[in-house]
Amino acid sequence: MSPLWLSSGLWVAAAMLAPITAGAETLPPTYAELYKPHGVDEIGIWQDADEDERRLTASPRVIRDEALTGYVKGVLCETVGPERCKAARVYIVRTPIFNASMAPNGTVRVFSGLLLRMRSEAELATVLGHEFGHFQSRHSVKLFKAERGASDVLSWAGLLAAMYPGRDTRRMFGDLRYSVLGHYFRYGRDTEREADRISIGYLNAGRLRPQVASEVWQHAIAEGLASAAAKGLRKPRYDTIAFADSHPPNAERAATLAALAALEGIGRDDGAARYASAMAPFLPQWLDDQIRLNDFGASAYVIEHLAEGGWTAPLWLARGDLYRLRGNPRDLVAATDFYAKAVALDPQLADAQRGLGLSLIKTGRRVEGQAALGRYLALRPDAPDAATIAMLAKEP
Amino acid sequence: MLRGKTILLLRPTIRVGAQSTGGMFEANGTWTEEARRNIAVALANVQERLDNRVVAAPEAYGDANRLAEEYGSLFAAVSASVVNYQFFKGNRLPTKKRDNKADVFDWSVGPGVADLPGARDADFALFIYDYDAYGSTGRKLLQVVAMLGPRIAISSGVHTGYAGLVDLKTGDLLWLNADTHMGGDVRTPDGAEKRVRELLQGFPGSKPDPDTAPAR
Amino acid sequence: MMRRLPTRRLFAALAVAAIAISPGHAGNALRGRGEAVPIAGSNLTITPGRDWNSLGVSPGKMVEVWTLDGEDLNAVTFYAGIEAEMPLVREISKKRLPLPKFRRQTLLADIPELLEGTYRARRMIATFHVTGATPESFLGHDGIRFTFDYVEEDELPRRGEARATIIDGRLYMATFAGPRLYYYDRSLPDFHALVEAARLR
Repeated sequence: MSPLWLSSGLWVAAAMLAPITAGAETLPPTYAELYKPHGVDEIGIWQDADEDERRLTASPRVIRDEALTGYVKGVLCETVGPERCKAARVYIVRTPIFNASMAPNGTVRVFSGLLLRMRSEAELATVLGHEFGHFQSRHSVKLFKAERGASDVLSWAGLLAAMYPGRDTRRMFGDLRYSVLGHYFRYGRDTEREADRISIGYLNAGRLRPQVASEVWQHAIAEGLASAAAKGLRKPRYDTIAFADSHPPNAERAATLAALAALEGIGRDDGAARYASAMAPFLPQWLDDQIRLNDFGASAYVIEHLAEGGWTAPLWLARGDLYRLRGNPRDLVAATDFYAKAVALDPQLADAQRGLGLSLIKTGRRVEGQAALGRYLALRPDAPDAATIAMLAKEP
Repeated sequence: MLRGKTILLLRPTIRVGAQSTGGMFEANGTWTEEARRNIAVALANVQERLDNRVVAAPEAYGDANRLAEEYGSLFAAVSASVVNYQFFKGNRLPTKKRDNKADVFDWSVGPGVADLPGARDADFALFIYDYDAYGSTGRKLLQVVAMLGPRIAISSGVHTGYAGLVDLKTGDLLWLNADTHMGGDVRTPDGAEKRVRELLQGFPGSKPDPDTAPAR
Repeated sequence: MMRRLPTRRLFAALAVAAIAISPGHAGNALRGRGEAVPIAGSNLTITPGRDWNSLGVSPGKMVEVWTLDGEDLNAVTFYAGIEAEMPLVREISKKRLPLPKFRRQTLLADIPELLEGTYRARRMIATFHVTGATPESFLGHDGIRFTFDYVEEDELPRRGEARATIIDGRLYMATFAGPRLYYYDRSLPDFHALVEAARLR
């Protein structure tokens, strides 16, 4: 075999990467009524997604609350329109991370960690519109093909490098690997940019304030900074692209979305009040799920961000728990103060009385602490830990 | 001897696709559907020879569906434990090693399986997992060139399956087979029949086979 | 939106089995009936009433995991004298993924939350509930007994029970966990027998 092989291998590489950007634009839209997937890859991906959804319907992590699911679905329908919305089935999944996804077959997964971080219907619409953008542009199939193209090329190139193990070949393989993988990741970021543009398009055409879209990413940046600062890590960069980033930098997304938001929409409602009342019953649980991830900076940011609309008893409770669970002596003093504020706003909030009692005892104020634990037991005599707390409340 | 019984076939997990040149799995919907059909027919045929009747578990909804899924997860966990801690040489648990010597196979998912949808009218439940990735032309070419050239062994195709039989009265696992190099092309009826015979090797009531689980 | 999460459980079980068998790690050891053995080289000693297996891999220096059928089905985890300001198990990254610490101020009543926080932070799970907590002695000292439910990545709901005590500023704890279908109930008496057979030398 001659070195010609190598160059023809590279030519194959270029040819395989070409279809990535072509796409199949003549197909009917994915949200067409009773849409059937086209081509081997799309059919296969749909079948996988159907199997995943079958399991999801039985998953112990799905929050089966019709009002909540109906509300989120309603925001999606309002965003993309009732016809397109028929293609989507929404599942709320109890997972404390900031994420959502829409599978090629129309399965929408919205994580509780995302709902905890959104401030308004307009913010939720931004994220749902983005996911719908991936769905309507068939990004899953396209990314799959791109990944396959890249891995095919690298397999051949790796083999050829092994066959001609000279230093030059090695270096060429190295260069090729970077260029092929770089192309793949860049393509992934481009699909994210496209989904962002689709999303802001929906918001501009809708009834909610599109300027809010940019805030989603501003808050994500602020939370990331807060998390890193509390851990004593170097400040993360949000304006540069790491080689393997799947998404464009948040700062770029925030700027682009701000620029693309229609000016005439600036006076519109953002639906913050409706959003807050729909989420209210779930907030204490989701706050607790977040706090116990032990990411102090991120949790503190989420709580303070929620409190911009005013501190409530559940928010003071969450802040108290956050500090008590970190448990440095100064944290316990701070926690005592936060629980006291929660109790002042809502004396019936049993968990706040419990936290207050435990923090007071640990900071040497036993008598006051035992009184708070007594109030906890009076409010919730059948609490799972009643016997343990009762002993602590009585100890001399 | 297991003959003249009714076997409840729990919805098999089947994924069939191709393996791209770079080794990625490409799900293939048509193949998967063909395999699902072929495997069901082959199962019925093989069991008919043992005088057993195979009935598909009814489609379940709501709580019944969640229970069926939870048992599916439990069965997967038990199977992994059997493979990891009793079959597999390197990592056996000492107590399971001793079981092997005494020819003891003591695993169960518990008597609660009697509540599974369709369990009341059957004697045994059969769990089946099948995963096939057929090497694409590109992958096969890569394999050949790698062998001819620098003598690098690249695998083409992945054919993994496992199957287990559970007593619906006690929940005891009567038999389990797991294989990572299975034969038979599940995309054709004949191939599926070969695959099912391999998968059911050592199935209670079938001809004794020296290669049978759990004595491996 | 940010990351596409793989949701494929199907062959995860077998894949895990294959990975766990990487050669080179210390083997699993028999803990024979009637033989007194120290846990993780500490002063905590168990004399089991039946044969158990001790896993060759452990999540922490002062931690040992025992099982009858594999840790996914029944796992007894002994924490043998965790020192103040230390996490229960080894941290994957001290800086990026810190775990909650056992503190000097930690009370018996706090221990369920310490275990809960460790599970959640280490495994990124949302579903964990402490279902009961009562005072009960352990190793002859004042202690706590608590129960919990949780769901992990494999979506197999599990149940657990734990006993703990604090002696000379160190935490001693034994936990038991298994799938709520069958396994938890079946081996709970075996766990109780181990707790009864635990001594401090």
